[in-house]
Amino acid sequence: MKQETIHADKVQLAYAGILGKATTLGIAFIIIGYILYAFQLLPLSLPIEQVAANWHLRASEFHHQLDAPMGWSCFSDPAKGDVLSYISLIYLGAVTMLCLFVAGIAFFREKNIIYTFLSFAQMAVLIFSAAGILSGGH
Amino acid sequence: MVLKHCGIRIVFSVIAMVLFLTPGLAFAAGSAVPVEVTAWWVWVLGLFVFTFLLGIVAVIAGVGGGVLYVPIVSSFFPFHIDFVRGTGLFVALAGALSAGSPLLRKGLANLKLALSMSLIGSMSSIAGALVGLALPENVIQMSLGLTILGITIIMFLAKNSAYPQISHPDALSRVLQIYGIYYDEHLKKDVEWQIHRSPVGLALFTLIGFMAGMFGLGAGWANVPVFNLVLGAPLRVSVATSVFVLSINDTAAAWVYLHKGAVLPLIAVPSVAGMMLGTKIGAKLLTKVHTNVVRRVVIGLLAVAGLRALLKGFGI
Repeated sequence: MKQETIHADKVQLAYAGILGKATTLGIAFIIIGYILYAFQLLPLSLPIEQVAANWHLRASEFHHQLDAPMGWSCFSDPAKGDVLSYISLIYLGAVTMLCLFVAGIAFFREKNIIYTFLSFAQMAVLIFSAAGILSGGH
Repeated sequence: MVLKHCGIRIVFSVIAMVLFLTPGLAFAAGSAVPVEVTAWWVWVLGLFVFTFLLGIVAVIAGVGGGVLYVPIVSSFFPFHIDFVRGTGLFVALAGALSAGSPLLRKGLANLKLALSMSLIGSMSSIAGALVGLALPENVIQMSLGLTILGITIIMFLAKNSAYPQISHPDALSRVLQIYGIYYDEHLKKDVEWQIHRSPVGLALFTLIGFMAGMFGLGAGWANVPVFNLVLGAPLRVSVATSVFVLSINDTAAAWVYLHKGAVLPLIAVPSVAGMMLGTKIGAKLLTKVHTNVVRRVVIGLLAVAGLRALLKGFGI
């Protein structure tokens, strides 16, 4: 019977390391943000009752009627419970980009041109999406 | 033996609770009583409990949470399908991010295989999200219903191959250095693997990415068969790498939903928390229950949710 051997290479381990830490931080962030929001421990940009009264509307109609946090505009007034909770979700959306950056650098150090390119190209696609150019980012 | 029976009882209780809880909520959602009469926290708490139970069932049935979340929650809760799809992506994303690190460390998920397939998949998932948010609601409901019914059939019929033998890797996979070795806990030995038909895989991942972005579904139901049956990666590598691809593709689409305002923290956070907690409990129950029985029940649940979405699309 063979003893378990770990076959993950250095880049993979670097990616796993940053992913594990960033995700743990993200989970803590979304829980704290939500407690501040749901228990209204911080002022809100939009009362929860108003959100609940309109969550049956299309997203476009919802935001036409209410001024809820949306896209990058949330950073203009971050000291609100609902905005902080929203930012915690934005953080979750940024974790993969951070990991790809770490992987890209690690591949570059290994002189692996193909995967340096693929890592940074993948990161560029995610940044493009995060910038909201096609989706009318706010 | 006693433990096994105990486990079966627990899982059946969970499934029964899912089934009984859902029509209760559906009645409230579909009744003539205005939505705002029901206190917001009742829905939020209901959503947390529901996603927690869904998380247990999903992991035992071997499916991702996202594929169950969108059709069921959009059918039985009062939230617009835009918000459900946005949340569905975050549910799948959070699960994939949590699972990603240990799978990469163990060498089960393969970074090179994932990066090669996810680049084109993430681009198409952005396109899918944009199209999905632009289409009329009834078209989305109809196509979601058809897609879910399709997934139900795939899950019902799909076979897998634990250790496919690939003697001739294709040229593209050789250029991209896609091959690997992992320690198989079942065989108690190292397993070497390589893949073939990479161009076909790329085409399929384009389609999968588009559908995942359009409907806010996690795409494990499609990623795994493509990695395993089309490309010829071992089943364990396929499952682990699928989780990893999901974290990249869903991130790309999730940003579109964020910018279009289709993510509400009030709905998204309890869903993510419930699903993550449920999957942890489900993973512990995994060895104590008959996964095939649960899987059949989940296929049944999906079929009902798909049919309901289809009927909603037709205005019935």
